[in-house]
Amino acid sequence: MSSTLIKCFNLAKAAGNVTVRRFLAGPMQSWQACSALALQTPLAQMQMHTSPVRRDLMEFFDDKKNWSETEVKVGRAWRTEELRIKSNKDLHQLWFVLLKERNMLMTMEHECNDKMETFPSPERIDKVKISMENLETVVRERNKAYHLLETGETGERPQKPVQNALGLKINYKTCEHALPPFMNLKWIKSRNIGFGGRAVNRFLLKYREKLYNAKRKAKNRSRNEVMMILRRNPNFDLGVLRRQFPDVDVEKLRNEDKVRGHYVPKVGV
Amino acid sequence: MSTRWYPIYQRGNPQLRVFLPNFWMKLIRPTEEQPPNVVTFSVSMEMTKYDVRSYLEKIYKLPVVDVRTRIALGETKKDQTYGYITKKDDVKLAYVTLPREESFVFPDFFSEKAEKQAKEEKSLDESKEGFRRFLDRNKKRPGTPGWFSI
Repeated sequence: MSSTLIKCFNLAKAAGNVTVRRFLAGPMQSWQACSALALQTPLAQMQMHTSPVRRDLMEFFDDKKNWSETEVKVGRAWRTEELRIKSNKDLHQLWFVLLKERNMLMTMEHECNDKMETFPSPERIDKVKISMENLETVVRERNKAYHLLETGETGERPQKPVQNALGLKINYKTCEHALPPFMNLKWIKSRNIGFGGRAVNRFLLKYREKLYNAKRKAKNRSRNEVMMILRRNPNFDLGVLRRQFPDVDVEKLRNEDKVRGHYVPKVGV
Repeated sequence: MSTRWYPIYQRGNPQLRVFLPNFWMKLIRPTEEQPPNVVTFSVSMEMTKYDVRSYLEKIYKLPVVDVRTRIALGETKKDQTYGYITKKDDVKLAYVTLPREESFVFPDFFSEKAEKQAKEEKSLDESKEGFRRFLDRNKKRPGTPGWFSI
């Protein structure tokens, strides 16, 4: 199906007809399901729904027929598994199609906001965004695979955990510098600021306390929840509880006072 | 290297190429009166004049004569009740000059919208009216289907 789509795209390009909207409008459509053979004839190209290519500023605007609509129906976003089976060239072409589509949608949204009108089908922007993210994921995967094969490294931007000026741990994404570290005076000076001093220590103390409290409260909450469940349902499945609340000691809680309901326990039955 | 990570600029050729540009450009309605061949864009903050030019020339195949950019300061607003201050984001505007013979008028999207809405409302009113008539007719014989009498 997707190879058909590629052929559709290439044929359409050869004929000088490219519909931008077509790429957004879901990769699986009935007209695309026609066999690749049928597309070899120019007649088949005539049957395909394409609009003439626009090479002017009107590319920044939606189709004229959608201007006064309150809803524009489009397909879904591209999925990663669909993009994975595409060639690099196709992905590259699709990126620019999506880029143009996004520009168009953003332009229309801006104008609608300006004129106090509702922008029809705003989910289109999200769909394009998701498609672009998925496409980038696929390209990144290929990059990684290539680099691992050729160099033994992923080729991703190197990262390392460092402490910032407040002594908090952050993930620092390394970047290239024109100067080596010992010559980079500006950088050396910036490092001298460092964390330390009473204010920072006090801040760190309180910050850690806050984190600890959040953790403690979450723990208490789940503990109480387990106790209330056991109180209301004395025969509750303990395995389910253990799975649901892995950090709660269910066996220990069973003997708690809070777990016992407001009834006289049946002794010796 | 990853798709969003490029080595720093080095002099000489060949230069690095951007394979998956992430820049966006919005064509916006100019606030002031402009010559017919000048178009206003709102662009990604990272874009330079050269970026704008090559973006339009390579991706949109538009002839560009000149590009000027400026960063418009976002509006600062003080809250009426609580007095805190909010600021809208700054935007980069690009004024692109096309060749002299080109002319562009920003289209009006919503001229037909009111007409269409009025038409829709009219049909809705008509169907409401029809239903009301049906109810009136069936007031004395509830539960009778619509096809029972003419």
